[in-house]
Amino acid sequence: MADGRLAQDLSSAGYDPEHYVSRLSEEGEMPLLEMKQKVQILSDKTAQELKKNVYKNYSQFIETAREISILEGEMYQVSRMLTEQKALMTSMLEMSLVSDKAVAVDEPQKEAEAVNPEEETRRNLAFLLEKVEGVSSVTEVPGRQLVHNGDLAELDMESFNQVQKVHMFLLNDSLMIASWLTNRRGPVRYRFQGLYELDNLAIVNIRDAGAVKNSFKVLMFPDSKIYAADSAKSKRQWLDILEETKKKKLARDKQKKEAALRLAEQQNTGPTTPKKEEASKLDDVDTAKDAMETALLGVDWLQELPENLDMCIAQRDFEGAVDLVEKVNSHLKDCQKTPAVKEFRARIDHRVKQLTEGLLSELQVTAERSLRGGPRAARRAVAQLIRLGKSAQACSLFLKMRSTIIKYNIRQLKFEGATSLYVRCLCGVFFSSLSETGREFHKAFPQLLGCFSAFIVWTKTEMENFITIFKRHVFDSKSSLATISECVSIATNHCAELANGGLDVGFYLDNMISEELEKAILESRHQIIESIKFRAGEDQWRPLNLGTETECSRYVDDMASVGLDIRDSVYNGCFISLTLNTTQFCKTCMVLAQSLLLIHKSEREALVTETLVLVFTEQVRHLDVSLASEKFKNDKKFILKNSQYILEVLMSKIEHMYKTQSILFPPQLVAVNAEYRRLKSLVS
Amino acid sequence: MASKAKASQPAVIHKVIMVGSGGVGKSALTLQFMYEEFVEDYEPTKADSYRKKVVLDGEEVQIDILDTAGQEDYAAIRDNYFRSGEGFLCVFSITEQESFQATAEFREQILRVKNDDNIPFLLVGNKADLEDRRQVTLDEANQRAHGWNVPYVETSAKTRANVDKVFYDLMREIRSRKMKASQQSNGQKGKKTKKRKCTIL
Repeated sequence: MADGRLAQDLSSAGYDPEHYVSRLSEEGEMPLLEMKQKVQILSDKTAQELKKNVYKNYSQFIETAREISILEGEMYQVSRMLTEQKALMTSMLEMSLVSDKAVAVDEPQKEAEAVNPEEETRRNLAFLLEKVEGVSSVTEVPGRQLVHNGDLAELDMESFNQVQKVHMFLLNDSLMIASWLTNRRGPVRYRFQGLYELDNLAIVNIRDAGAVKNSFKVLMFPDSKIYAADSAKSKRQWLDILEETKKKKLARDKQKKEAALRLAEQQNTGPTTPKKEEASKLDDVDTAKDAMETALLGVDWLQELPENLDMCIAQRDFEGAVDLVEKVNSHLKDCQKTPAVKEFRARIDHRVKQLTEGLLSELQVTAERSLRGGPRAARRAVAQLIRLGKSAQACSLFLKMRSTIIKYNIRQLKFEGATSLYVRCLCGVFFSSLSETGREFHKAFPQLLGCFSAFIVWTKTEMENFITIFKRHVFDSKSSLATISECVSIATNHCAELANGGLDVGFYLDNMISEELEKAILESRHQIIESIKFRAGEDQWRPLNLGTETECSRYVDDMASVGLDIRDSVYNGCFISLTLNTTQFCKTCMVLAQSLLLIHKSEREALVTETLVLVFTEQVRHLDVSLASEKFKNDKKFILKNSQYILEVLMSKIEHMYKTQSILFPPQLVAVNAEYRRLKSLVS
Repeated sequence: MASKAKASQPAVIHKVIMVGSGGVGKSALTLQFMYEEFVEDYEPTKADSYRKKVVLDGEEVQIDILDTAGQEDYAAIRDNYFRSGEGFLCVFSITEQESFQATAEFREQILRVKNDDNIPFLLVGNKADLEDRRQVTLDEANQRAHGWNVPYVETSAKTRANVDKVFYDLMREIRSRKMKASQQSNGQKGKKTKKRKCTIL
């Protein structure tokens, strides 16, 4: 409490150190000392808090930095895609200079029409009335608009001679031809010649040949006509606009037809609704019901919803889109299943499908997208998909993505140098990916227990893949037992770490490699025993002479590196009171024991013990034979000394190893230890 | 001047229509015939019309080729095209069975529109240079042509094999049909006059 006040005092705005200190010092030494202590405590506390904050910031910083680096990659890709698209657009512009302009001219016109179609139509057609004679019937049709018009020359079908000059008016549903009036009166310039429905019109481009240039044919059953434009550009424009208008009309007709069909359907389904008594009444009841439905759907936001949804999807505002979907779902839940509602429902469903596809593609792993999509981005897409009720799909895609990332990361590793080094990296990458996926999965799929089994299955397959790679590098490369056991222990340790996090995959590893591992142990055992036999035949029971003192001390160091101390056995500077055979055996045994204990497991205990026992027994047999041999009658003492080193010093080292690994020293080995006493009794 | 040059052009025009599915090589055949060039790039045709002066068995005539769009969606418009034709080259690709199947539809439509079972018509198997990718056997094509009572010719717009042949053969058919028609109308006139005479008698 006092600390708090002190801190407050010190950090207050009106704090004046001189005044503060002088006031304190007035009261004598004791309060000053007390104060000093308090300040000290405060400063310690502050320092500690500072440290904590730095730590927190640091971890946040690391996470942010990771996200940023991922983002950077994404941005680079985006910029590359943009450049590509830009190039594409420029090339497209170059390709169609003419048609592009035509569209550009057309666009604002269309917009104007959209603003006030009625007025525009009237103006258009008024223009027609003013200019063309005898078009009153043409202008009377509601909704008819002028799209394009221009002067053309009509040519003779056979000879291509010019017949007359005409003006062509393209309306949104038909093509009107008017001929020039030679003796014009007032503003009227043309005389109506014919109006042709666009549906039955075929436009044929005529390739320029000889005198005929820039012309096209219009087939209107039963006759056909050829018109020539004054430039290639103008012709191109006519052909493009004609085709576009025809397409638009076709689309419009299709829509109308569908609307009519729907209307008919509506009328058909009307009477079959459960409320038959209502339906049996007159039409106006139906219309009243319709009106009610429209009112139900007539809410402003509901009407705009499909467009808004489109916009959200286009802007990749997936959260907003899902919000809208949820809103409309809850709204429509209470509505009756009337045709109008059904139709609206279908429109929404269509967009939900689009939205889902968009989200799924977010998670999809494709060749051109970077594999290192930010984990947050994935989480976001997953969260929205879950809200849409597509958790299974999200889950499988999410895991697929993670698989690719793991594969990619593993491929990034370079295989060089020692096997154990590579395996260390491999394990590091794989297991950290695995645990990261686990963490991400927890965050992305909270409360979805069904998905967790998918995760477990995924882990199993990934684990199998990993073990295949692992086995290829560790066992197929004919590495030594020491290397193998080191690699296995690395992987095992990683597994144990994962198990601490709640994901136990160690038994997979164990199951899948135990066979190879046992084979490797047996092979190594066989080799060692063979070499013991070989050395036994050569043994002359001479102390080891290393020639010089430096050589000797190097040898001693060498032995020390595997944990054996032979300094006591050195005499005369360069002599060691053990045979070469003995020291080599000890070295081999130490390495073997280390390796075996590294991969010790209760299931393998028997094999490990048996291996060590067999190796020792082989050496003891050699000692036995040597002691009994006449040849080494005078060396018995020396042999016994070697035996002592092997069976007591070495064995105690191994026993120590067992102890440090907190594994029970097996009685079989204790029995081997007792051999020395037997050998001693043989001598005496 | 120009009008004079046009006036001197031969009066006889034979109107040929290229029909067939998209991508079978209608335009390639036409361009090879017209300009002796082979266009490798494929760009769907909308509808192109060509006219060329040719010498047919010593007689100078004009050929008018309407290269239709294989992908035309408007059936009504296809009808309009067909109405304007006097003879048809119904093209398919020997490397694409579907295009061969489609010829039956085209044939049916043409017969319906023209209302004439003996309309000049050639069944053309294009892309004969791609023998290794052949999907339509000579036998089945010949069989179909025989069933329709029309000739079957295999062409290659790439190597120009049989390209001129199909156009000239079709023009000959058209010419003979026109001659027959004029004879018939003459004959009919004769008959009529005879009949009239009879009534007089």
